[in-house]
Amino acid sequence: MLCVETNRLLHGYLDGELDLASALALEDHLRECAACRERFTGQQALRSAVTGKARYHAAPAGLRQALRTRLAAEGRTRIPAWLQPWPATAMAAAALLIAVTAWVTVHQPPAPTQVAQAPAERKLVYHVNSSDDVATAFRNLSNLLDAAPRTRVVVVAHNSGVDFLISGARDKAGDPYQPAVAQLKSRGVDFRICGNTLGRRNIQADRVIPEAVLVPSGIVEIARLQAEEGYSYIKL
Amino acid sequence: MAANDRCRRFERLVLPHLDAAHNLACWLTRDEDDARDAVQEAFLRAYKFFDSLRGDDARAWFLAIVRNACFTLHGRNRPPGIMEVLDEELHGEELIAPGPTPEAAAMESVDRELVNAALAGLPVEFREALVLRELEGLSYREIALVANIPIGTVMSRLARGRRLLQEAILKRLGKEKTNAMR
Ligand SMILES: [Zn+2]
Repeated sequence: MLCVETNRLLHGYLDGELDLASALALEDHLRECAACRERFTGQQALRSAVTGKARYHAAPAGLRQALRTRLAAEGRTRIPAWLQPWPATAMAAAALLIAVTAWVTVHQPPAPTQVAQAPAERKLVYHVNSSDDVATAFRNLSNLLDAAPRTRVVVVAHNSGVDFLISGARDKAGDPYQPAVAQLKSRGVDFRICGNTLGRRNIQADRVIPEAVLVPSGIVEIARLQAEEGYSYIKL
Repeated sequence: MAANDRCRRFERLVLPHLDAAHNLACWLTRDEDDARDAVQEAFLRAYKFFDSLRGDDARAWFLAIVRNACFTLHGRNRPPGIMEVLDEELHGEELIAPGPTPEAAAMESVDRELVNAALAGLPVEFREALVLRELEGLSYREIALVANIPIGTVMSRLARGRRLLQEAILKRLGKEKTNAMR
């Protein structure tokens, strides 16, 4: 892959949107080309600045409560009284209908059973490719397992995302990662670590904590889980 | 569908995305009160048109309604111009010409206020794409659905958005330094 091609695909790679072949070719190029690697690192830093520092405006409790109350009232009555007094609703309805129609056209409806049936067993593969993702992943996983304990989860660590599986690794607050990993492992989460990354970064396999399993390539493992075992891909 | 079932299904599929809806609305309108209005209105519209949700991606469906509500609100209440959308296709060169490299060290040292101000200052279509991608973690396909643009435009919008954001951050950092020296 050439630099010009790398630049074209860099954002897709950063966002986990490239097909496997392009991702592998791009990784090969990044290994060899310092200029592109620096650009990639810079983009990762920009992303961390945004994800870590931009404000997340969660819905205020009052708003949530107000909407819940309206919804509950709607469940009890056939007449959606609260739909009427909004002057904007009628005006916007025509425009919205067009938008919704367009949306439905793009978004091909699946078979109705897909909505009605609870999935038999959810299988998720988490792609951790930066150490910034780890805290999010842990929080996310623990919420997920609280809500849906039967979910099968594999965490694949790759690129700078492997660090938390190295023995003695600590988070930014100085706390060791291993107890959290062991805890998730005891709840059925599998951790797999990319051998290519270890090789590239000169990390000996015996420094990987025992909770993690070494696989030859993180990306290939993710593709395999998706294609052969029906896992859904979660990029953090 | 009985009102009660419909209601419960709506609660199950749409309510979990209320934080995402409010976050998007805040970033699009840059005003907490407007955001609240837009989310309420979107919530009502979503309930009214709930039967049009066929797929399983309730989040993208609901966020599309939220962003439309934001734009409707601003189209009515604000001077025009805020929603002018550039033709991304003209900016395809972003993807080939790399532009300056964001300096990792500078990005690490930058404070929250500055990131918030730089992001809030971006033209709305880039702000939207970045918020959906970086704060909500939407895929390109979902961003395309929400923003009503082709998938191919998503990547160019993000590429240009990141470049503008990086420039805005560096410019603000430079100003801070100049002020500090005075
Ligand atoms: Zn290169």
